[in-house]
Amino acid sequence: MSQTDTAETTANRTDGEGVSTTAGETVEETRPEWTCHETDGETKLAVGDLDVHYGDDHALKGVSMDIPEESVTALIGPSGCGKSTFLRCLNRMNDRIRAASVDGTVEFDGENIYQDGVDLVELRKRVGMVFQSPNPFPKSIRENVSYGPRKHGDIETGLLARLTGRAEPDREEDLVKRSLERAALWEEVRDRLDDNALGLSGGQQQRLCIARCLAVDPEVILMDEPASALDPIATAKIEDLIEDLAEDYTVVVVTHSMQQAARVSDQTAVFLTGGELVEYDDTQKIFEDPESQRVEDYISGKFG
Amino acid sequence: MSRATRTALVRDDRTAYEAAAGAAVGISGIVFVVGLATLLGVVGIDDPVAGLELSVLFGVVLLALGVTVVGFGMASRLGYVDAAPQPSAGIVAAAAFTGIWFAVGAAVSGAAGIGTAGRLAVGAVLGGSAFAVTAFPREDVGSTVPVGAVAGLCGLSLVVGVIGPGWEQALVGYNATLFGDTVVPVVVLFTSLVTGWSAAKAYGGFGARGRNVGAYVLIYLVVGSILTVLVGLVAFVTVRGLPGLFGGFSVGGASLVSWPFLTNGAGLTADVAGVFPALLGTVWLVIGAVLFAVPTGVGAAVFLSEYAEQGRFTGAVEVATNGLWSTPSIVFGLFGAAFLIPRFGNQKSLIAGMLTLGFMLLPLVLITSREAILAVPDEYRDASAALGVSKWKTIRSVVLPAAIPGIATGVILGVGRIAGETAPILLTMGGGVLPGKSAAPDVLGGFQLSGSPPFVSNPALLEATSALPYQLYALITAGLSGNIENPQEFAWGLALTLLLVVLVFYAVGIATRYYFRRKLHQ
Repeated sequence: MSQTDTAETTANRTDGEGVSTTAGETVEETRPEWTCHETDGETKLAVGDLDVHYGDDHALKGVSMDIPEESVTALIGPSGCGKSTFLRCLNRMNDRIRAASVDGTVEFDGENIYQDGVDLVELRKRVGMVFQSPNPFPKSIRENVSYGPRKHGDIETGLLARLTGRAEPDREEDLVKRSLERAALWEEVRDRLDDNALGLSGGQQQRLCIARCLAVDPEVILMDEPASALDPIATAKIEDLIEDLAEDYTVVVVTHSMQQAARVSDQTAVFLTGGELVEYDDTQKIFEDPESQRVEDYISGKFG
Repeated sequence: MSRATRTALVRDDRTAYEAAAGAAVGISGIVFVVGLATLLGVVGIDDPVAGLELSVLFGVVLLALGVTVVGFGMASRLGYVDAAPQPSAGIVAAAAFTGIWFAVGAAVSGAAGIGTAGRLAVGAVLGGSAFAVTAFPREDVGSTVPVGAVAGLCGLSLVVGVIGPGWEQALVGYNATLFGDTVVPVVVLFTSLVTGWSAAKAYGGFGARGRNVGAYVLIYLVVGSILTVLVGLVAFVTVRGLPGLFGGFSVGGASLVSWPFLTNGAGLTADVAGVFPALLGTVWLVIGAVLFAVPTGVGAAVFLSEYAEQGRFTGAVEVATNGLWSTPSIVFGLFGAAFLIPRFGNQKSLIAGMLTLGFMLLPLVLITSREAILAVPDEYRDASAALGVSKWKTIRSVVLPAAIPGIATGVILGVGRIAGETAPILLTMGGGVLPGKSAAPDVLGGFQLSGSPPFVSNPALLEATSALPYQLYALITAGLSGNIENPQEFAWGLALTLLLVVLVFYAVGIATRYYFRRKLHQ
């Protein structure tokens, strides 16, 4: 599909679907072709008709979008529009919320992650996540980074491993170094790897969380407003890092800041109140010439 | 806008008024401390100080304080000093002084031989006037005059000797007598507390600042007295227990340190009777109870907070555990006697005691562990889950380490309680009153292997064993007799040993908590 579909046909649809009225005022209809964005890259994640309910609350309504690999996809929209919910569907973190029910498909490299028999451990190893507020474990910097591989048994460090000669301290060292370097934190912490991670500044903690995520060697990195709790300088570092990571990883980032979306992302999806995806396109197109009036209003600050 | 009261933003140098009020607060504090010392019996109320009996001196000082406090109020009321009193001293102060003056009126009229109705009437009149004097005039009068009057009356009766060292009063209807050396300190403590409060208010210039300073003085004096009582309690046991504990103690010689009270039994052959069997019994008892209760309690807490759905079931379990923790220990003892003893050789045994105390410890470990686990931020669990780490591994390597300080706190509190428990031991494991050294439980050396089930046995666990609180109780009820040279000294030494054992367990627990807290945050 392409966006050059005629607008008139859908605008004149009379079945009422997608049209809601508030206090007698007709709200602009969401058109499917606004969200059908084609890219050059291979599709990493294909989301099809995704619905999320929290109890009676319909948080996400029939969202479909293709996320291309090795690029940055930004999700923007006002508070409560479902963008974080959407993000948490991509590695099934919503499973952890009892009241949440998810319908639809999310295909990761062509395989639906919502079918039976999906190994959540394997899924989350491939689809990593960085949270809004930095949440390092109350352990040393080194232990934070090597936590994932250790728990997955990729690196053996325990007493038993040492006794049987299977411990690989060099490999662990190497992994910690590589991950921290990739997260642009190595130079700042190389001399204090055994210090508690809670002693780092907020920006350093967030980069440590990114390093921790990179250490399990993911293919996709989901970021939920990764810089919203940070000062401008730390934010700039995180943004540089995101752009840098897109060379090797597929990055999906939720953000409140439209400037941030414009700076770092290749394509942008706009969610608006009610849990619907209104428009999804190249970032430049979204910010310069959006199809939807509501998106234009939101971006120019008239709405949301 | 102009109705708000204003005082100087920058206060001048200390005025003579403030200095005097500060001195009055200080003197009240000193009187309070000395009063506490007399109450605890450190000094007698008839000891001569500066040529006067202490109680008379108290009277003089309190009288002077009362007059001074009224003087502060008047100086402020007549505008000689820069103060910011509020329109009234407030309903709380008024209610307090009503109660105080009602009691004074009833007591004084009773001493004068007036009947019950008359006493109530006098009390009501005085209480009512105190209410009026406190509530209706401006704060500087309301919070000084009733105080001054109380202090004056009490001081005067001490000076004149209406109550004093020789005073005693039989309480009609009770089989008891009040003596001067209890009543005088109580009166002194109370009076110095109110004069200290009032003088502190004057020091702060009344108003919000004055009330603040007054509250400070009240709180510090009350906290100080509580700490004094606690320290006094420990000091009392320590002073009485030291001779027994260190009887025959010597450093040097063949065994470097010789501490017969802790290493001997109480048998006929021992030259210095000791508490070794009971001491070892208590130590093993606590270790056994902790080994039983901590894994089960923490395991149950993990299930309840991480796996079970929060709802009616977990709520019911919570109520039940809280109830279990407040269950009287004799009930646990009875359970142990009726249920455990028939299953462990039909006699009182160390293991029955361990398990009974373990059951007692279990609820507290469960409650505190659950709180500690619930207090671990969900972000850690989310972060771990997002890395693809399974739930159990997350609990083991993130949740439990973060919860250890809280769990340790629960175990510390619980050990303090069970180490001193007497009733369950009495029913489930109590051995001899004065066991000889051979009666000490040899748990580590007692394990035996055998060819038939259960393959491992330990007779030490199945024998009746003494423990410190039980031995103390048995000594007291047995009349402190027997083959001990100085039973009083022995019993106090035993009490001090028990105190020290509990403190040592506390120290271990606190060190554990400190170690893990440091590890988490540094």
